[in-house]
Amino acid sequence: MESLYHIYKRRGYTRRDFLTSAIAISTALGLPSSLLPKVVKALEVKPKPVVIWLEFQDCAGCTESFIRSTSILPTDVLLDYLSLEYHETLMSPSGFYAEESKREAMEKYRGKYVLVVEGSVSPKDKGVYCTVAGKSNVDLLREAVEGAGLIVAVGSCASWGGIPHAYPNPTGALSVSEVLKGKQVVNIPGCPPIGDVMVSVIANYVITGKAPELDSMGRPKTFYGQTIHDRCYRRPFYNAGRFANSLDDEGAKKGYCLYKLGCKGPITRNACATIRWNGGLSFPIQSGHPCFGCSEPDFWDRGMLYTPLSVVSGRFGIREALVGVAVGTAVGVGVAYMNKKSRGGK
Amino acid sequence: MSDVAFYDFVRGPFLKFALFVFFVGIAYRFFRVIFLGMPPDYAKPKGSPPFMALKKIIIKPTMGWTFNEIFSRRAINFIGGFLFHLGFLGLTFFVPAHALLWKEITGIPFPTLPNIVSDVLAYAALGSLIALTIHRALNPVLKLLTGKDEYFANLLIALIIFTGLLATRWAGGGSYIWLVSLHLFLANLLIIYIPFSRLSHFVYYFLSVGFMGWNAGKRGVSF
Ligand code: SF4
Ligand code: SF4
Repeated sequence: MESLYHIYKRRGYTRRDFLTSAIAISTALGLPSSLLPKVVKALEVKPKPVVIWLEFQDCAGCTESFIRSTSILPTDVLLDYLSLEYHETLMSPSGFYAEESKREAMEKYRGKYVLVVEGSVSPKDKGVYCTVAGKSNVDLLREAVEGAGLIVAVGSCASWGGIPHAYPNPTGALSVSEVLKGKQVVNIPGCPPIGDVMVSVIANYVITGKAPELDSMGRPKTFYGQTIHDRCYRRPFYNAGRFANSLDDEGAKKGYCLYKLGCKGPITRNACATIRWNGGLSFPIQSGHPCFGCSEPDFWDRGMLYTPLSVVSGRFGIREALVGVAVGTAVGVGVAYMNKKSRGGK
Repeated sequence: MSDVAFYDFVRGPFLKFALFVFFVGIAYRFFRVIFLGMPPDYAKPKGSPPFMALKKIIIKPTMGWTFNEIFSRRAINFIGGFLFHLGFLGLTFFVPAHALLWKEITGIPFPTLPNIVSDVLAYAALGSLIALTIHRALNPVLKLLTGKDEYFANLLIALIIFTGLLATRWAGGGSYIWLVSLHLFLANLLIIYIPFSRLSHFVYYFLSVGFMGWNAGKRGVSF
């Protein structure tokens, strides 16, 4: 089977283009430059990765992001490079043929393929809320996990449960790792996650044969080791106490910090501020909108998209304070009265 | 528990609970004392009690600020106490994250401090708190007046300032979320603790000083 280098050559790219991609991949993965010759070698000779991509309770947004990851590999190379044996949105066969090709791939590449899961899993009521080809999503997942060399949960839905898991979670949506307790799952959260991150994790598997270094919540440390706030170019304004008060006031026009408008950058771990989107063009904060924190668990339920992080979630205003004062006053006066009585006073 | 889940808990239900206990506690203690009342005093006041009470509240904080008082006898108390209160109150109300919380509670917008000023205040408050605590432990008179309450309160406040500093200045990456949550967690404990400890002096100080002024006014003496 072809390697990445062969694909570049076949598509008319130069060796320089190939080397640029190899450097981009190893930089993205945070590999030391001394390992670069090894990375180049691996991408030159190792066969392209086989990927089986399952979609459960999802919106295919993660797929959309994936195929637009253009800063590391050009799209035409990417789609050639990955041997996408099964992907409901992208594959041309359907019905029986699609299922058959998946079964064949799972047998042929047993122990070697990368299993990518997009969307949350719904085991509730025997998995009836999400079925493909008459099988429940949980059964499909377990069957595909058996022979997988690497399991990757892409997007906040697969990593944490995401939007289907949001209150009141009618389908009992769970994350992939909750369903596959005890198995290593690489979580690439985000709604959607950055395409280049997904590609890099798969490339890392080709190069090293294993998952990248993960944090305690299963996220690759290189991409999720820092918060947006750590790397935000508006940070000097935060430090100086200069904030935009609305999305289009003078402060916003001057590029001030968006904390007051509800920016979740300080508690959000993702690579948006460094890798950015659309080939490194921009990211939400750069285009003037506060960070939603889409890569953190339960971001949707946090329900405070435009309220500053430090404000009590679930509201505590003057009314609640007055209720407290009224209760305290009533009890205080009551106790004072009883004390007075017991002392025989009037 | 993930750090974000812990964060959501401390800034959600736990903070709400702490604030509620705080308001109940402060009102409870205040009215319990007020309504206990004083034995009736039928003597005619010789001066003006309300005026003297007000005078005492306003003038008292400046009374110690004489050269003699500060530099010959109680330098640590006055300078340390001043720096600590300035720092602590400045941080509590005017650090941007805190100012937004107060705005939410009171509806009034609070001005915000740039980081550099908050840093200076934080170091000033922390340094003076440590100095005051050591002074307390070593000074023969203060030692007698000090109980576990003071040491606990000082430790709690020092930890709050320290974790705040750690979170905003030194922590990067994931540890920021743990530290800021810890900062909030400890602050919640303090909010609950204030009404039931000597920290409630931020309310009762004015009550007791006012009472002393009132008495002085009644007797027609000066202070
Ligand atoms: S994580 Fe977001 S983009 Fe991905 S499937 Fe879920 S809703 Fe869609
Ligand atoms: S815009 Fe958001 S991430 Fe950037 S400095 Fe402000 S609060 Fe931090």
